[in-house]
Amino acid sequence: MPERQDHLESYASVWGIVREALPFELVCTTGGVFAGIILVKMTDMIEMIPGLLVLVPAILGMRGNISCTLGSRLGSAVHLGLISKIERNPELINNVTGSLMLSLIMSIVLGVLAHLMTVAFGMPSAGILLLVLIAVISGVSSGVILSILAVVITIGAFKHGIDPDNVTTPAIGTLGDVVTMFTVFYTAKVVIWGWHIIQ
Amino acid sequence: MAYYTVTGIVKRGIPVLLIAAIISTTSGQLLHARQELLIDFSVLLLLIPPLIKIGGDTGSILGARLSSAFHLGLADSVTSVVVTNSVLACLLIGCVSCVALSVVVWAAALLLDVEVVYVVLLKVTLIAGGIDMIVVFAATIGMASLAHRYGLDPDDVVIPIITSIGDIVGIASVFVAVSVVL
Repeated sequence: MPERQDHLESYASVWGIVREALPFELVCTTGGVFAGIILVKMTDMIEMIPGLLVLVPAILGMRGNISCTLGSRLGSAVHLGLISKIERNPELINNVTGSLMLSLIMSIVLGVLAHLMTVAFGMPSAGILLLVLIAVISGVSSGVILSILAVVITIGAFKHGIDPDNVTTPAIGTLGDVVTMFTVFYTAKVVIWGWHIIQ
Repeated sequence: MAYYTVTGIVKRGIPVLLIAAIISTTSGQLLHARQELLIDFSVLLLLIPPLIKIGGDTGSILGARLSSAFHLGLADSVTSVVVTNSVLACLLIGCVSCVALSVVVWAAALLLDVEVVYVVLLKVTLIAGGIDMIVVFAATIGMASLAHRYGLDPDDVVIPIITSIGDIVGIASVFVAVSVVL
């Protein structure tokens, strides 16, 4: 089967894979540095809220998982012909509501888990209430921002004849960390500010 | 009746997200335990988010390629050429990305007035990235072939787990690399 052999060779060639994937990986990595820059700017808040650093990889990970699956589901829905417009589209509304529900549930779980594990390891924690509050506000607000972006990018790509599968998930993956770190940063700021007012 | 329902999405999502949550809060504990080191050498805070992304991303590319290859019958065992070439390509992508990352982080550190020595940064990035990729790729190959053997859809499960493993191994290997280099 010469045809299959050709296909296999191009599919499996090291250079072919590198040429396709490397440029995008470089963009992603550079995008990730912006998340790092926000994290460096948070050092005093990390010292003020013990346990905040536990939440950072957890919220980033959750956000990546939920938003990227939303992106790929929206892509599949477009391919299936289920989504062609934004207004009053039940498939679109259910997809976005579903991933926001997941974000809310998982944010609460993350806050509780972060507190319990920190205490179990004998380290100081800012308390279950504060950590859940930070996780929920930053997890849900980044979810809203990224859901809107995912919908706009998917529909926009579709309208311009571009396959959303090739655009939405990579774009959300790159923007996800930056948007999420940004919401964590502002949530921590607001929480510290609120704390000072209560005190 | 809509094809996608809210309860369907939530029910399918929760189990995998729970496993990922346990792994990622454990990686958070690693950061928390070394919080003072991270604040003293804050260039590490700059490096960690993008570095752990490289492990997760290259692992995800490998996972997606392996699951497609197994689905399409292009690979029948982990020693076939599709698998070895995919691993090599992902390793190359990861190494080039690590070198590029060290330059970008160095530039960002200079701009932000964060203390940094380029050679140390490059060594930490390469050692940590290398360990991260070796562990993540081994886990990816193992999970993809298991998923294939037991007829599970690798796309739903493998990628989220791989990115969480990439995070925890990535953070641990940064600390290993720091203790080797410093």
